[in-house]
Amino acid sequence: MNKDLAADRNRLRNQALLSFVVLPMIFLTVALLGGLRVNVEGGAFVFIPPPLVTLVLAVLLLLLFVRGGLLQPRAWVANHNTPLTNSINIWTLIALFFASAQAFNSVLPERGLLHWLFSFFFLWTLWNNQFSQFDARRLLRSLVVLFGTAFVLKHVLVASLYAPEGTWLQRLTGTLVQGVTLGTLDAPAFGPATGYISFFTLALYITGLLLITFGSNQPADTSQSLVLTRPTEAEILIVDSA
Amino acid sequence: MQHKVVQVSGLVLSVAYAALIVWIYATEPRTFREVATGAQVAAGTYQVDQEKFNSGLSLFRREQFRAARDEWQRADPAQSDARTQFYIAYSFYREGWGRVYNDDNLFRQGLEKANSAIGLSPQPLTIDDPYLQIHTAAELKTELEQGTERSWGDVNPLKVLRTRK
Repeated sequence: MNKDLAADRNRLRNQALLSFVVLPMIFLTVALLGGLRVNVEGGAFVFIPPPLVTLVLAVLLLLLFVRGGLLQPRAWVANHNTPLTNSINIWTLIALFFASAQAFNSVLPERGLLHWLFSFFFLWTLWNNQFSQFDARRLLRSLVVLFGTAFVLKHVLVASLYAPEGTWLQRLTGTLVQGVTLGTLDAPAFGPATGYISFFTLALYITGLLLITFGSNQPADTSQSLVLTRPTEAEILIVDSA
Repeated sequence: MQHKVVQVSGLVLSVAYAALIVWIYATEPRTFREVATGAQVAAGTYQVDQEKFNSGLSLFRREQFRAARDEWQRADPAQSDARTQFYIAYSFYREGWGRVYNDDNLFRQGLEKANSAIGLSPQPLTIDDPYLQIHTAAELKTELEQGTERSWGDVNPLKVLRTRK
């Protein structure tokens, strides 16, 4: 009996640490790194604030999280929670919103036609997904594919076309593409470190979303969906008084 | 109780971290060094490198204005010291001043630095340096402004008799 109580207490402690410390810090780190680029000359930092379209994409993504059951807003902000719990839950949601916006910012080309093409495809995919049947697991898989594809397109394909240190064939292709499209496919060249930062940012973002699963207080075999639920006030009272 | 401690510390930590992120995006530092300097300015512990400042001053007195500015820029990388910014503005004035005509580009840069010096100083900035003829940032600003303005006085031949301050 005592063993069960101790296990319960540890579970709630870990859950609280994850929900109230680790998750906000992860999402804020994504918000910091999502707009960071490294200049090709001199390696200076360039901070790009999230463009307006990424905020729209982040709203659509949060709606998708709610529809897919990854987030349960009613459990996060509720009358029976203490004001402190509600405040930190709202704060985490804000961090998640900006992390989502910056994750998009990280894989969107900075300017030109490619920026609008990528934005359009993101919008199209997220809008279509609003009307699809989703559970949290499928949603996460779909997000990994979405961000993974955008990452490869931007940081591997497009970056290699415009890299100043690329082979003559790459430079020729880049110049041809730019010429044929009358310069509309122009993309700024950043240092190779930018790709690594973006990869780390996306990995951290997906990790944050996956970690949400550890916040679940449902037994693993009964939960078909991954749901972030915070320790309830009743649970906290029971454990704190024990 | 323990749970509340975790909640409060999580909230405090993440709010401080968010403030740091907003500050980084607002100031846009280009290197880790600039991040550190900016943090020193924000914490109020920032100090100008006095050795480099003095080295710049001695170059300024030998009329090596560009070299002096280079030293002062290294002495005050955050561009947050009103006195150093005043001297940089003064070096632009002295380098740009001409008996027949002034270098507008240098005067404009000097004006920018003079404005920056005025903005950085909480009270009217006065520099007690016997080597200088202009001792306040406001006077220097006026001098630089007048130097960039076009007027009929510009064609006055007696203009060549004026002296550099």
